[in-house]
Amino acid sequence: MKPAVFSYSAPESIEEALGLLAEHGSEAKVLAGGQSLVPLLNFRLARPAHIVDINGIGELSYISSNGSLRLGALTRLTAVEESGDVSSGHPIITRAVSHIGHRAIRNRGTIGGSLAHNDPAAETPALLLALDSEVTARSAGGERTLSAQELVGDRFFETSLGDDELLTEIRIPALAASSGWGFQELSRRHGDFALAGVAAVVTMDGGAISSAALGAFGGAYAARLPEAEAALVGAEAGEAAFAAAGERAAAEFPTTSDVHGSEEYRRHLIGVLTGRALAEATSNTGGENG
Amino acid sequence: MTATQSTGWIGVSAPRREDALLIRGRGRFIADVSPAGALHLAVLRSPFAHARINGVDTSAAESLPGVHGVITADDLEGIGAFPTVWRLPGQKECHTPALAPGKARYVGEPVAAVIADSRYIAEDALDLIEVDYEVLDHVVDVEAALAEDAPVINEHMGDNVIIEYTFPGINALGVAGDLDGAFAEADEVITGRFRIGRYSGVPLETRGLVADWDDLRQTLTLHSESQVAHLLRTELAAALGIPETSIRILTPNIGGAFGNKWDRYPEDILVSLASMRLGRPVKWIEDRRESLQATVHGRQQLQEWQLAVRSDGALLGLKGRVLSDQGAHLHSVGIGPAWVTGAAAVNQYKIANYHCDVLGVATNKTPNSTFRGFGGPEAMFGIERMVDKAARKLGIDPAEIRRMNMIGADEFPYFSPGGAVYDSGNYPTALAKALEAVEYDRLREEQAALREQGVRRGIGIGSYIHVSGFGPSAILGMLDYYTGGYEGSTVKIDPHGRATLYTGMIPMGQGTETTLAQVAADHLEIDIANVRVVWGDTDQTPYTGFGSAGSRSNVAAVAVIKAIEEIKAKAVRIGAGLLEADPEDVAYGDGRISVKGAEEMRSLTLAEVAQQAYWGHKIPEGDQPGLEATYVYDPANFTTAYGTHVAVVDVDVQTGKIDWVKYVVVDDAGTIINPLLVEGQIHGALAQGLGGAILEEFVYDEETGQLLSSSLMDYLLPSFTDLPDFEIHHLETPSPHTEGGFKGMGEAGCFPAGAVVANAVTDALSDLGIEVDETPVTPARLWGLINAAGG
Repeated sequence: MKPAVFSYSAPESIEEALGLLAEHGSEAKVLAGGQSLVPLLNFRLARPAHIVDINGIGELSYISSNGSLRLGALTRLTAVEESGDVSSGHPIITRAVSHIGHRAIRNRGTIGGSLAHNDPAAETPALLLALDSEVTARSAGGERTLSAQELVGDRFFETSLGDDELLTEIRIPALAASSGWGFQELSRRHGDFALAGVAAVVTMDGGAISSAALGAFGGAYAARLPEAEAALVGAEAGEAAFAAAGERAAAEFPTTSDVHGSEEYRRHLIGVLTGRALAEATSNTGGENG
Repeated sequence: MTATQSTGWIGVSAPRREDALLIRGRGRFIADVSPAGALHLAVLRSPFAHARINGVDTSAAESLPGVHGVITADDLEGIGAFPTVWRLPGQKECHTPALAPGKARYVGEPVAAVIADSRYIAEDALDLIEVDYEVLDHVVDVEAALAEDAPVINEHMGDNVIIEYTFPGINALGVAGDLDGAFAEADEVITGRFRIGRYSGVPLETRGLVADWDDLRQTLTLHSESQVAHLLRTELAAALGIPETSIRILTPNIGGAFGNKWDRYPEDILVSLASMRLGRPVKWIEDRRESLQATVHGRQQLQEWQLAVRSDGALLGLKGRVLSDQGAHLHSVGIGPAWVTGAAAVNQYKIANYHCDVLGVATNKTPNSTFRGFGGPEAMFGIERMVDKAARKLGIDPAEIRRMNMIGADEFPYFSPGGAVYDSGNYPTALAKALEAVEYDRLREEQAALREQGVRRGIGIGSYIHVSGFGPSAILGMLDYYTGGYEGSTVKIDPHGRATLYTGMIPMGQGTETTLAQVAADHLEIDIANVRVVWGDTDQTPYTGFGSAGSRSNVAAVAVIKAIEEIKAKAVRIGAGLLEADPEDVAYGDGRISVKGAEEMRSLTLAEVAQQAYWGHKIPEGDQPGLEATYVYDPANFTTAYGTHVAVVDVDVQTGKIDWVKYVVVDDAGTIINPLLVEGQIHGALAQGLGGAILEEFVYDEETGQLLSSSLMDYLLPSFTDLPDFEIHHLETPSPHTEGGFKGMGEAGCFPAGAVVANAVTDALSDLGIEVDETPVTPARLWGLINAAGG
């Protein structure tokens, strides 16, 4: 389990990194926390000719909040997990990040790396989909803004980033005062990739649901669940509405199978977890989250 | 424990003397062994489950800068392979070759080896070897392997049946049961069909070897983690065609072995041969993927049982068929674990009428061989599930049906129809103690109340026996097991009166060094700090053909006691001369040699006598100078550890997930040497048992024959967060078969775990009529059962 030969550079600025990406193009791979890339290299499943190690780029690591949240792509998951700015405005992120691997993995792993790796069983892509996030991608030629959906939607272990582009920032809008959230995941052991999971954000108008966002993971790709969301709008919060949403969620979930669970089982789980996440979300609306 | 202490070292939780080193990171493991100029070996492994090898082109690999050599099967002319030490009558020969000769039979089987300046270069070279594989049909399911048209894995065998062995139900006294009579008398015949999952020890430290051939001295120094270095040395000499006297095996610290490192492996030959041919030290460290593919697997069986029961709950007769999924080759112990399953299946119960057919079946998978438990947990799964099924069918409480059928405390020695002789114990008391610990009656009430609230709580009971302390060599001979079961110990008292103990046992984490030092200190009646334990060097330690196993300290401990008895007798003889007393009037006590009745006045310390022994000035006639003894202890008989576990679990029927509520262990391993280490062994064994019950599984893809669980992302080891708190209670019934009364205990913790979990989950879902008959009980598998039952 030793990687094939590659060349390596460690830029100290974004501009330098973008120059290297422009130079090496599809031959290059960006190394952030390395929690997925390094095993892939060692298994020789990834054989990039060139590694651009961005760990020395301090300007990529920050958390800033003014209601909405801005996260530098190189921000370590532990920093996100421990941030008061994150937990006060977006406690769903704090909870979701606690499910990512183990502490030692989160100490190295980065929020941008997790998103850009886009493992369909990972928490980050589905979470950021449910939160209507957007990202900045930069290249030597300029920068652009993409929605999380545009970045990872319907994609399996890849994103819409160009070979010369670097993910630099993730932005998460503020949650409405009348919103609540739920996060439910089932994994074989704590810290494992999910068998299935659902991130839910709902906005309430009295006892009725005025909007709902559901991000599901553990399938073929991270996905929003628009049919289930639509069924919830205008519904009274309660078992009946959750069950109906769960049924739709299960039906539209892009399920998959592996050694840990069949397509049918995962589809079933998404239904169950959607119901549970909605029950959780509607029970903690109005800021009493956590 | 800083104050000196001369007596009473048995039964004391002496701190592990191994830990100061290990906790500070000062242990020396195989990867730390790096002789100057060492080359690195990497193994090319078959990517196919079954493929003919029509050619291997190594030219590109050999021309890569930094590559020193490539070994293929064609280079093994004159080199042998390791035999199977357990060769039961009728067992076909299909031992594991060093390199796949002409055909690969499982994914991960060694095909070639590269030796290079670094592991990186060696792996680059593996990429350059071109193997002309002709992919053949494969079979990974044991029943499919028995089909008429199944691909034959070892052509010379004609089919995939390696052996069919019958336990005819005759006990060691030659008394046969009446199975037909039992089934004729039965009110009910309970049937069960169990799939026990394939898993293994998966040591944190993978295997590794450093071989160093000295061409001038014609000696091979092999650094190895083998649990049985002496036997490896014997077999390696034969395979390499060099004298055994040329080989010295050194053992560093071992980061877990669990039986997996008892076996001899192809790499032992390849790494040694590479060093001999290249004249350089050669190092190989197994990586994790290799470890999962190419270190032996364990457990996997398909069992079918029929249990004849009377309506009052009496268990009358048991008959079964065990298909042992052996993988592609027989490894070091052949079908040994499955044989043990057949021998142990009647467990603690007075089932006089028994028959079991055990089939060893070849499949295109990694060999299934030595793993902690060694067939015992498989046996316990079968019988303990069957007893629960009988209880449910008859409407008898599962605790009660066990109690009423258990062998009584006054019925030892008990001659089981599996052929084993159980030495001692009190099975009903262990059960009662476990039930008391969980507050069984209250628990049943609570279970009913929770069921009303929609919480599905289940209670699972599992009793077990563990025939340990293998074993009397003559009996091993009768079982066609071609190595001895004895254990030797040399004890040397130095001129200052301190003891050095030499053992062939190899500590692999269980605290053997501490345990044996305690036994020596106790019997010499000196402080434990004055006992040194030497292990891990075949040039210094006594020969053992059985070597280290979790349940062997009891045998090694007796060898220590016996050697010390000889030393004490000699010290008394020498001391009597010095004290000018008749040896009859002199006794050894409190680390001194004294005239009886005049201990205050006429007494010598062990050091004083030892000094005289080495000066040799006044040695009694017939004695030699010096003060040392070697004793090779061949156990008189097996010992039988036993106990009962109870688990309490909650099951989420919507997801199939299990939550632990409680787990209680009651065990009896005879006299306990060190309670702290015993608890540690139970924790570890139980973690392994529960790992196999809910998480760990080597899954093979039926379509491709690939091992799907070939990383630790897919092969799931339990960590402490995945396990319940263990509540442990002991009984201590000394074994009448061993000096000291010790029984082997290092494996027993895993014995009933699978059955206990399956029984608990089945109990939790009793209203759905679900029977959990397959391990591991994964959420997906359990939900599948729940879904099929309409739950």
